[in-house]
Amino acid sequence: MSFREKSASVMAILMTSAALYYLTLFSAASRAAGTTAPSLAIFIPYVIFVVAASVVAQVALALFSPKEASAPADERERIVEHRAGNWSGIVLSVLVVSALGNFIVYNDGTLLFHLIMGGLMISQISDYIFRIILLRQSL
Amino acid sequence: MAKRPPITNNVRALREARGGMSQAFLGDAIGVTRQTVIAIEQGRYSPSLESAFRIARVFGVGLEDVFGWDAE
Repeated sequence: MSFREKSASVMAILMTSAALYYLTLFSAASRAAGTTAPSLAIFIPYVIFVVAASVVAQVALALFSPKEASAPADERERIVEHRAGNWSGIVLSVLVVSALGNFIVYNDGTLLFHLIMGGLMISQISDYIFRIILLRQSL
Repeated sequence: MAKRPPITNNVRALREARGGMSQAFLGDAIGVTRQTVIAIEQGRYSPSLESAFRIARVFGVGLEDVFGWDAE
């Protein structure tokens, strides 16, 4: 398994965990406060935690493969990154348009926030999954 | 599963004929990772024209001695 495949796998697991944590965090806050409004007191530490966890995961991977980690993506890896980015962009577009459609029907700005936040996470997870698939198959 | 590219190659045979040159060595010589060399050898990836020329130069042979076209 190449460094980039390992990196994508670790980040896919981390982002999926972060997305599930987000879901439980805000559904718990919603039950406690009787509202689903995003709270900065929860949101900011959450974002800091996810960014810090991502950095720690990448540094840990780089420590095991320093040469591969510092090498730039080669021609095949660049094709994989571009294609995965393109497909995950389509995933994000579909989810954002769906969230906007939901807002037009229900006029719920809070739900719009959570749907777009979820869309960003799903899009990022799909980017990692597309990378793993493309790195393993014929291009 | 994506369709394999129609370009065939003798990279593995040429590597083995050169005293078992490692995939990592060839990768370093042409500026790609070992995994990309593996993908080329397995026919899962057709390299760019530049990398194809680099591979041929490493082996000291012509481009058509390394790569072919599978009409099937």
